[in-house]
Amino acid sequence: MGLRNWAYYSKHAFINIFGNRLVHAISIGTIASSLILFGSFILLFYNLNHWMLEWGQSLSMSVYLQDEIDQKTKARIESLLKNLPSAELKEYISKDRAMEDLIDGLGVHSGLLEGLKENPLPASFEIIFKDVNIRQLDPQGMKEEIEKIEGVQEVQYSEEWLDRLEGLVYVLKVAGFIIAGFLCLAVLFITTNTIKLTIYSRRDEVEILKLVGATDWFVKMPFLIEGAIQGLVGGVIALSTISLLFLLFSMDKVHIIGLPVLEIVFLPMAHLAFIILLGLILGLIGSFIAVGRFFDA
Amino acid sequence: MIQLFRVSKSFGTSKALQDINLRIRKGEFVFVTGPSGAGKTTLLRLIFGTEPPTEGQILIRGINLNRIRRTSLDLLRRRMGFVFQDFKLLSRKTVFQNVAIALEVTGERPAIVRKKTHQALKAVGLSKKEELFPLQLSGGEQQRVAIARAVVNDPLILIADEPTGNLDPDITRDIMILFRSINLRGTTVIIATHSQELMKDTEQRIILLKEGRMLRER
Ligand SMILES: Nc1ncnc2c1ncn2[C@@H]1O[C@H](COP(=O)(O)OP(=O)(O)OP(=O)(O)O)[C@@H](O)[C@H]1O
Ligand SMILES: [Mg+2]
Repeated sequence: MGLRNWAYYSKHAFINIFGNRLVHAISIGTIASSLILFGSFILLFYNLNHWMLEWGQSLSMSVYLQDEIDQKTKARIESLLKNLPSAELKEYISKDRAMEDLIDGLGVHSGLLEGLKENPLPASFEIIFKDVNIRQLDPQGMKEEIEKIEGVQEVQYSEEWLDRLEGLVYVLKVAGFIIAGFLCLAVLFITTNTIKLTIYSRRDEVEILKLVGATDWFVKMPFLIEGAIQGLVGGVIALSTISLLFLLFSMDKVHIIGLPVLEIVFLPMAHLAFIILLGLILGLIGSFIAVGRFFDA
Repeated sequence: MIQLFRVSKSFGTSKALQDINLRIRKGEFVFVTGPSGAGKTTLLRLIFGTEPPTEGQILIRGINLNRIRRTSLDLLRRRMGFVFQDFKLLSRKTVFQNVAIALEVTGERPAIVRKKTHQALKAVGLSKKEELFPLQLSGGEQQRVAIARAVVNDPLILIADEPTGNLDPDITRDIMILFRSINLRGTTVIIATHSQELMKDTEQRIILLKEGRMLRER
């Protein structure tokens, strides 16, 4: 009995969809667009998180040295820094290098520096912390420790900047959740109304089915399947579009001046499945609401 | 099989049926008659369970319709056939599909659905019109499609509201023979009509309604 009924339900779901092609096309289009927006948000957050981790992994610290320290002190500082957990000594920037970098950085405005009699810039060691979760480090504590070392003038690290980025991501996340919520509501509204329309256009059939002894489920099932198919098709279209957009955008790696090269990463399978699943579930809930309203009345 | 105890039905202030007491036994063949507006259709609808009575109890095969659950009513409907006064055919479906629907809802095998549907349409003389749509048929032919749908699943109770209203005398006779043969196989048959012709020279039981009251029985 089960399999036969499913054949009947699916057949009638497709008859319904075909019978109301235009309404369904519009509805599926709306669902797809909403899910595309939704998926783009997920993609954006996923990448923001990814980039944050990358930057976290390359958290850097500049250890500025006092002028006029001897080679022995410098070597001692170097070995101490090398022994910090998960730290990597990237390079030593001499006073002269620092000046050159500054002149390069100022470009056409480098004339500003011409009046300087002597080089005011300190030499520094650049350290990066690799393969470590930024949250497990205590940059402030380390800064204070390192500044106690003889010959060290000052330590600067990039945490402040990360904090601000995290704040931004948080704001985006909250905004994203609110927008995603509205999108879900929109999709629900659309499916509910499409299915209501189909039920309405089939009300004579519904009446007769009940008169010849169809159970409520038998009557409802094609409409529920109809909603599920709508959501599913919308989800698949959304996913295909997002994939296509991703391919277009990821042709080139994104460069942002001064920041490391950003690589756009695509969503993992679980996230992809989620978009389709979301379409399916929203379609189902929408048709459940429509069917429920109709059968209660 | 069917029992009504002090059944009344009002629509707003108008009383369609008043204080009906009735007992119809299994295998009976009953006519319900009376002038237009007497309450014939209303009585049949109450028995079929599409309208609840305002007062009183209706028992079908011992089951009280006032207390029946939705799903049980669905199952009961499958054992009852109803020929509606306005046919209630689906214009988007073919004659064949209109009849087959009554079997499909029971989850019957497609092969059986086809076989029984062909049989029912043959019995009402519509074998050649299976693939037509209701609006391509005459009124009398549509009525016969409605009859085929009502009898296709061998109902225990067959209820027909003016089943011969649009039929010419020859076809009326054929349809009455069909009802008789269904009745002979054990089905309880209830027919509402105001055609004296139909009830003439029968020994069947006749229930006469007038202004919602049962006047007499024969
Ligand atoms: N749904 C309804 N709403 C309001 N009044 C109704 C409804 N159905 C029936 N009635 C009223 O109940 C009374 C009986 O109607 P019913 O249809 O049972 O008569 P009938 O005997 O079948 O008449 P006919 O021979 O013309 O078919 C009528 O006065 C009718 O107006
Ligand atoms: Mg009537």
